[in-house]
Amino acid sequence: MKRAKANGVLDLDDALWERVMEATDGAVAPCFQCGVCTATCPWGLVRQEPVNVRQLMHRAQLGIEQEDGAMWWCTTCRACEMQCPRGVPIADVMLALRGLAWKDRRAPEGLAPVMWALYWDNNPWRRPPSQRSRWAKGLDIKAFEPGDDILYYVGCTASYDARTQKVARALVALFREAEVAFGTLGEDEPCCGDAAYGLGQQDYVRRIVEANVELFAQRGVQTLVTTSPHCYDMFRNQYPAEAGLQPLHYSQYLASLIEDGRLHFERPFEARVTFHDPCYLARRNEATEAPRRVLSAIPGLELVEMARSGEGTLCCGGGGGRMWMETQAGERFADLRVQEAAGTGAELLVTTCPHCVACLEDAVKVTGRDLRIVDLAELAAAALGLETTAPRPEQAARSPK
Amino acid sequence: MSGGTGADSMRGLHTIVCMKAVPKSEEVTVNEETRTLDRSKARSEINGPDLNALEAALQLKEAHGGRVSLLSMGPPLFERYLRLGLAMGADDAYLMSDRAFGGADTLATSCALAAGIRAIGGFDLILCGEESSDGATAQVPPGIAEWLDVPQITYATHIQSLPRKRLVHARRELRGGYEVVEAPLPCVASIKLGANEPRFFDFDRWDWAMEEAPVVVWTAASLELDEQSLGQPGSPTIVASVDIAPSAERRREFIGGTPEEEAEQLVQMIRAWIRPS
Amino acid sequence: MTAPLYPPDQASGLWVYLEQQDGVLEPVSVELLGKARQLADQSGQAVTAVLAGYEIGHLSAPAVAHGADEVLVAEHRLLRQYTTAPYAKVVAALIEERKPNMLLLGATANGRDLAGRLAVRLRTGLTADCTDLALNEDGLLVGMVTGFGNGILAGILCPQHRPQMATVRPGVFARSQPGEWRSGRIKRVPVTLAEADAPVRVLRQVTSRGGDITAAERLVIGGRGVHGDFDTLRELAALIEAEVGASRVAVDEGWIDREAMVGQTGYVTRPKLAIVCGVSGAMQFTVGIQDAETVVAINSDPEAPIFDAADYCIVDDVSEVLPPLIEAIRRERGNGGG
Repeated sequence: MKRAKANGVLDLDDALWERVMEATDGAVAPCFQCGVCTATCPWGLVRQEPVNVRQLMHRAQLGIEQEDGAMWWCTTCRACEMQCPRGVPIADVMLALRGLAWKDRRAPEGLAPVMWALYWDNNPWRRPPSQRSRWAKGLDIKAFEPGDDILYYVGCTASYDARTQKVARALVALFREAEVAFGTLGEDEPCCGDAAYGLGQQDYVRRIVEANVELFAQRGVQTLVTTSPHCYDMFRNQYPAEAGLQPLHYSQYLASLIEDGRLHFERPFEARVTFHDPCYLARRNEATEAPRRVLSAIPGLELVEMARSGEGTLCCGGGGGRMWMETQAGERFADLRVQEAAGTGAELLVTTCPHCVACLEDAVKVTGRDLRIVDLAELAAAALGLETTAPRPEQAARSPK
Repeated sequence: MSGGTGADSMRGLHTIVCMKAVPKSEEVTVNEETRTLDRSKARSEINGPDLNALEAALQLKEAHGGRVSLLSMGPPLFERYLRLGLAMGADDAYLMSDRAFGGADTLATSCALAAGIRAIGGFDLILCGEESSDGATAQVPPGIAEWLDVPQITYATHIQSLPRKRLVHARRELRGGYEVVEAPLPCVASIKLGANEPRFFDFDRWDWAMEEAPVVVWTAASLELDEQSLGQPGSPTIVASVDIAPSAERRREFIGGTPEEEAEQLVQMIRAWIRPS
Repeated sequence: MTAPLYPPDQASGLWVYLEQQDGVLEPVSVELLGKARQLADQSGQAVTAVLAGYEIGHLSAPAVAHGADEVLVAEHRLLRQYTTAPYAKVVAALIEERKPNMLLLGATANGRDLAGRLAVRLRTGLTADCTDLALNEDGLLVGMVTGFGNGILAGILCPQHRPQMATVRPGVFARSQPGEWRSGRIKRVPVTLAEADAPVRVLRQVTSRGGDITAAERLVIGGRGVHGDFDTLRELAALIEAEVGASRVAVDEGWIDREAMVGQTGYVTRPKLAIVCGVSGAMQFTVGIQDAETVVAINSDPEAPIFDAADYCIVDDVSEVLPPLIEAIRRERGNGGG
């Protein structure tokens, strides 16, 4: 529904402007078009034309329909917000515009099925809900009880993705090593709603949050430790404070266990490592210290920082619902990131987010770099010599190779 | 047989979408002792192809105006799923719910649904999902068409209406290609799974759909149906035996040996799937 | 209960509906004739083939060779291309007149289209998409079907109504060898049809564009482990009438174009058979094949997650397994499909 230009003058839609203001809570108003956002956006590193964030904001201010799919490129990494002189919550504006696009039936193909998956299957990956706790088979993890130290909130990706299940198993081993009283919600664990949030389905997120708050209250959940920074971000920022939830990302919890002396590393783990800060920890929640405290507690590790570290981290490309959208080869931030990591001479690129792991491992495959991606939990468990492999079912004879 | 009246394109198209809720296939088991299906612990969802049928109907409404009515036959808990359809954009919903409908095979089911459709009346087009994930017969849509004595188009992936001419054009997917057919309205079309991308809920409609929208509930008596033509009494087929299929889960069967041995063994195992087609 | 059109004691004969397109018999019809012959010999029935169409007389002899004792040939120009109404009218009339005991059709799109309509017109039972057929101790036809996403296997009977109808999936029964020594009656039946009997028109038909992996019944998929060699995959695919798909890595490497990509951000496929070669099987990929009926995985890494999502697993180098696999399939199909 493009506005027609009459006599070369653009027709401004006041009603649209109202919708945008309401959807962004007026957040779009202070933008004064300086363009620093466009300059900062990592898309400028991989595309000929950077994503014109400034123009997007301007069109939103004027109430002009967004023409192309530009708002869908945003990974909500907030690099732009760090530089914005007016403190405009640019990522929120992007998500608000996405919400409006859904209402106008202009969301890209392939995204409605993700919402349906959340609705029917309680996870964005279309995996059967009855198989949510399969990853824990043989680990004898008990159901969460209100007296426990923490609820281990596994998350959809850790529950269903074979690669991320390794992180979950590592965390279980670490919790047991530290004698943490913990349990999970098993098959009843609800999806935190991050996929709906990242794709701009604000109305749906509201309902997910409401239902989950009630469930957590019924189960007596207070402190929850998440595998993914995305789940952490949801619980910390999208769930109401009155719910009394105390979310922690596992890196923060591990750091506190180390501080409390419940986890200590004696054996050296000799390796040169560099650390990739997930946006959803570093910039969105100012959580850069905890993973480094964990790393520094492991003797033998040599941590070499990349130039873009901490709050300056380079997004892996997976946030803002981008895990469910295709990014063309040659335009992936992760390719640049593994290049940067390799440049430090590190053998291991450590990170603490399932989406980062997926994007970075993909990048290593395609760029052929000699770099291993490892999640912090896996590294810590390995340093302690803990058993983390999955109990495998019996299998018939394999090829003698 | 009731249907549209002449070339009244101003009022748009009245489409009736038949839909049902089905248990999630992987959660259905067979009771060891009684050798009967146990769906009691299974979560339910709207049958996938029915969502594609509803999406097709909503797109036709966007193009031509008119209304979309939902019809379901099942237990009272189906009402919730009809309301989800209203939240997607449908206008009204009808539920046929009666013990007498239970245990029906496709003959009795299509007969009952046809009666419900006649009771709704004034339709131009009936859309159904190609088949349902539980029975997977695909027989109900042609059955409904026969009971209503209207033409049918099965396995449609695209459907377009030419309302002034009282025609539809549809693309039917056949193995090795497709054909484009033209049928007069009113008619029945079954829509293939994946034919389109069903829209997610319109949350502006949610409260109305869930709380306020009236869902008309009919019993066999309110439709004046002969109970002998319904449910089990009205079904020529019976289920003689039920078992868990060996292929319910991935087999994860490893084949070993030299590459030649592996190839030979594999071919033996997948013979049925590689026959000339 | 709706009374049967005719009772079991008046019903005789095992009928097979022969589906043809442009004067060529559908393979499933040939498969069904073979099975019908077997069932008929078991129970002392005669096999009648029903052949409807236009200029299809030349198909009668092969029908006899494959097991029909009798072929009823119904020809009319309005039957040139399949549409439901005229075919249903012609076949229903034959059934009402001759009262068969059983009627088998191939579970193709048009076969199921016709069977579904006929069953209601004839007020009889129809068992859909059978994976096997047998006769029970009472001589009743038992149709084995799957339900609930292939999770459940059920046996279906139609005790009182006739004809007992069933549709059968292509490829379930092996194609039998034709017996040139067989003989049978070929009977042309009168057909009365008018334009009003054919309300649906076929505007155009398009045969296999190829390349649509979402509609493919068989898929051969390549990933990093094929090291760029999609030619061998294409050879395998051509051999089993499959389409070729790819993982994201293969597309990124430029070995095949984006239209072939299987997975979360590519296409979700639902083939009956997927042979996945050299794909590690991350979740973003397996989402694209999780609804496949049968998955074969070949990967040299025993830890590859693809094996959790597969039915038949070969831990080996793709380049070492594919050539003997292609040979083995050639031999298998050379034997008339086994």
